[in-house]
Amino acid sequence: MAVKSESREEYLEAIFKLTQQPAGATVGRVAEELGLAAPSVSQMVGRLAHEGLVERDDASRIVLTAAGRREALHLIRRHRLSERFLTDYLDLPWDRVHDEACKFEHVLSDEVEERLATQLGNPQTCPHGRAIPTPDGELADEPARPLAELCAGQRSTISFVSDERPDLLRYLSSLGLLPQTTVAVEDVAPFGGPLLVRVGRARYALGREVAGKIFVRA
Amino acid sequence: MATACTTELSTRRRSTSALVVALAGNPNVGKSTLFNRLTGSAVETANYPGMTVGLNIASATWRGQEVQLVDLPGTYGLDPVSEDQWVARHGLLDWRPDVVVAVVDATNLARNLYLVLQLVDLGPRVVIALNLIDEARRQSLRIDPHALSQALGLPVIPTVARRGEGIDELIEAAAAVATGGDGLGRGRAVRYSARIETQVAELEAELADDDETLPDGLPPRAAALALLEGDEELVTALGPTARAAVTAERAALAVSIAAARHAAATAVAEACTEGRAHMSGADRWWRATTSPLTGLPILLGVLAAVFAFLFFVGGWLSSLLTSLWTATASPLLASAVHGLFGYGAFAGTLLWGLDGGILAALAVGIPYILTFYFVLALLEDSGYMNAAAFLADRVMHSFGLHGRAVIPLMAAAGCNVPAIMGTRVLATRRERTIACALVVLVPCSARTAVILGSVSLFVGWQWALLVFGVLGLVGLVAGLALNRVLPGEPEGLVMEMFPFRRPSLRLVAVKTWKRFGTFLWAAAPIMLIGSFALGALYETGLIWHLEYPLNPVVVGWLGLPAVAGLTLLLAVLRKELALQMLVVFAAARFGAGAHDLRSFMTPHQIVVYALVAAIFIPCVATIAMLGRELGWRRAGAISAGTVVTALVVGGAAAHLLPLL
Repeated sequence: MAVKSESREEYLEAIFKLTQQPAGATVGRVAEELGLAAPSVSQMVGRLAHEGLVERDDASRIVLTAAGRREALHLIRRHRLSERFLTDYLDLPWDRVHDEACKFEHVLSDEVEERLATQLGNPQTCPHGRAIPTPDGELADEPARPLAELCAGQRSTISFVSDERPDLLRYLSSLGLLPQTTVAVEDVAPFGGPLLVRVGRARYALGREVAGKIFVRA
Repeated sequence: MATACTTELSTRRRSTSALVVALAGNPNVGKSTLFNRLTGSAVETANYPGMTVGLNIASATWRGQEVQLVDLPGTYGLDPVSEDQWVARHGLLDWRPDVVVAVVDATNLARNLYLVLQLVDLGPRVVIALNLIDEARRQSLRIDPHALSQALGLPVIPTVARRGEGIDELIEAAAAVATGGDGLGRGRAVRYSARIETQVAELEAELADDDETLPDGLPPRAAALALLEGDEELVTALGPTARAAVTAERAALAVSIAAARHAAATAVAEACTEGRAHMSGADRWWRATTSPLTGLPILLGVLAAVFAFLFFVGGWLSSLLTSLWTATASPLLASAVHGLFGYGAFAGTLLWGLDGGILAALAVGIPYILTFYFVLALLEDSGYMNAAAFLADRVMHSFGLHGRAVIPLMAAAGCNVPAIMGTRVLATRRERTIACALVVLVPCSARTAVILGSVSLFVGWQWALLVFGVLGLVGLVAGLALNRVLPGEPEGLVMEMFPFRRPSLRLVAVKTWKRFGTFLWAAAPIMLIGSFALGALYETGLIWHLEYPLNPVVVGWLGLPAVAGLTLLLAVLRKELALQMLVVFAAARFGAGAHDLRSFMTPHQIVVYALVAAIFIPCVATIAMLGRELGWRRAGAISAGTVVTALVVGGAAAHLLPLL
C-alpha cells in the first residue's frame, strides 16, 4: 500500500506502547509520543484502520486489531533482537542501544531476523530485561489469567490458549479466538454461567471450562 | 410434501453425470434459505454413520442440466475438529463439487472470509454469495463487490437470499465457473509467512517423493497445509512416512496458519468495506436479552408465554377440534362402520382406530405440534434461541445439557412429541438422549389434566401441588443421574450469539411445515395402529383378562383397585384416557356414581394413581418420536425407565402416605 512502511511501523509501535498504559492510545497521545501534529496522526490512523491494523473501541480510543498487534510485536521482536546484537556482538553499552535499534529494526528481512535470532542463541529477553516476542508475536513473560476471571464490561487481549485440548484450540482459532486478539466480556450469565464475549464483529457465548482455557493478559 | 428420508452416507458419493454444487458458509448466514430457494421440497438428508449433523441433498434442473445441490452444515472452518466441521470437510472431499457457493455474511465479512480462504487452500472452485447486503446497508456498511472479487480472485455476487435477490446472477456465475476453464474460481491463496511456506514446500515435496496417493483428490499443497494444521485423520490415511513427517516443530504451526488466515481475511474485509457499523436501536434492545438483569425476566417471560400459548391456546384448539370432530366426523364414521360391519367387536375396533385414532392425531397434531413448531422456528430465526441458551446454560449444564435444551423442556409441558423433535437443537447424541429422557418426564398438558381432574378435584389442590413437586424432583434426580451414568462428558459451550433478525414469515412457515411432516409420517401412523390394537383389546373383552396378571403390581404393590391398572394400559394411547377410561371402567364395575373417584378410591389411592399415570410410559406418539429420533433401543430403554420410575415412586407413595 501507499503508506511508507517505516513510519507505519513507528505508529504501530507507539500505539502498542500506549495501549499498554491505562489511559490507552488517543490521537493526541500518539502525536505526543511521535512528536507529530495531531491532524497528520489522525490521517495516518485512518489509513491504518483501512488496512485493518487498528480500530476504535467503544470509548473511541485507538486499539490494535489482531493483525496490527502481531505486526507491532513483530517489530518489537526485531527491535529487541537488534538491541541484543548491538550489546552482545558490538559491545555497545545497553543504555545506548535503543536509538540505534530504532534504525536497525526497519531494515531486517524475515530471513535476516531469523538468522540473527539463531546466531544470538534465541535470547528470551532484550538487554533491558524485557521479553522478546516469539516469531508468532507472543510475549512470553506476560502475566496471564483465565478469561473466565473477567467481569462483564472488561476487555483484554488473548495471550495464549491452553493446548490441553488441541481440537478445542483449533476450533477456537477458526472462530478467530487467537492470541493477540482483543476480547471484550459483554455479559456473564448468572450462577457461574457462560461468558458472552465480543471478538471483532462476532459475539460468542463461552462456557466456563472453555473460558478457563483461554488466557488473557492480566 | 416434505419427504425427509435419511440415508447412510458411506455408500453415497457422487457418481452421477450431474453438476454438483455445494453450499458452504458460517451458521446463520442464510445458507439454508438460499438452499431452499434453489431447490424444491424433495430434500434428502444424508448422514455419516454415527453423526447427528447431516448433509441436505436435493436435485434441480438448470437449462436442461441436472444439478445436485449439497448443503454442507454451517461451520466456521473446515478443520475436522468438531462434528459439523468434520461433516463439512468430508462432504466436500467425498462429493467433489464442480463448484462451491460460499455464502458469506456481509455484516461480518472478516470472520466469514476465513472459511473462504480455507476453501481456496483446499482446492475446489468457489463462487461467493455476498449475502445479507441489505442488513449491511442498514448498519451503514458499504462493501465493494468488485474490490472483494479482485482481492480474492473469485466471482462475488451480492445477494439477499431471504427476498431472492441476486439468485439468478449467482446461478449464472456458479454455472460459468463450474463449466469454465481451469483457472476460474480458484481464488488467490494466502501467502503464509516464510517459516510456514518453507515447511509447506518441504512437506509437499516429501509427499510427492513418497508416491503416496493422496485421498479424495486432495491437491499436494492442501494436503501439506492440512498436515501442518494437525489433521490426524489425514495423517492416519497417509501411512507411516507422512506420520514421521509431522514433527513437533511442524505441528506447532497450526495456530500460526489460522492466525495468518484470519489476518488475511481481516485485511481483505477492511480494504473492501467502507463505513463503520453502528449499533442500531434494535441491536441495543437486543442486548437486553443477554444482560442478566434484563435478560432473566425476559427469558422467564418468553418461557411462560411459550407454556401458556401451548397450554391454553393449544388446549383450547384441542377441545375445539375434538368437539367439532365428535359433532361431525364421529357420527358419520359410526353410521358408516355400523352400516357396513354391524355392531360386533370388529366394527368397534375399526371405530377405535378410525374415530379415536384420527381424533387423537388431530387433537395433538394441530393444536400442540404445529403451534410449537411455529413458535420454535420463530425463536430460532429471530436469534432469541441463543440468548435463552446463554442464560439457561448453567442450570442445564448440571444435567449435562446445553442451554438450548431449555426451550424443548419447556415445550414438553404442552406436549412431549414436538419437544422430542425440538431436542435437535442439541449437538451430541448424549445430550439428546438426556434431554429426551427429561422431556418424557415433564407432565404434558394431557397428564396435567389427569392430575387436576383427579387429585385437585377430589383430594385438594395442595395434594396436586405435591404431585407436581414430586414430578419435579423425579426429573431433577433423573437429570443428575443420567449425566453421571451416561458415558462421555458434557461438551464445553462455544456458541455464536446471533444479532436480531426479523424472521421471515414465509421461511418460518416452511420450516414449521417441514417439521410437522415428520410428525405426520412418523408419529401419526403409530397412533392409528396403537388405536386399533387397544380397540381390539377393549372390544373383544381381552383387556379384562389382563386384570389378573397385573394384580400383583397394581393391587399388591401400588395398592390401587384392579380396574385402575387397565386404564393405565389404555393411557398409552393418549394420556388423558387414563382418567376418562377410569370413570368408564369403574362404572362398568361399580355401577353409576363412579364418576366420583372417591366412591371407589381413597384420597391416597388417587394421589398414587395420578403419580403413576404421570410418570409411567409415554404415549404412543411420544414413543414413536423417540424411536425416530434416538433409535428404537434408546426409545425402549427410556420407556422402560419411566415404568420402573413410576413403580418406584408410586409404590413408595402407596407405602409412605398412610404413615403420614
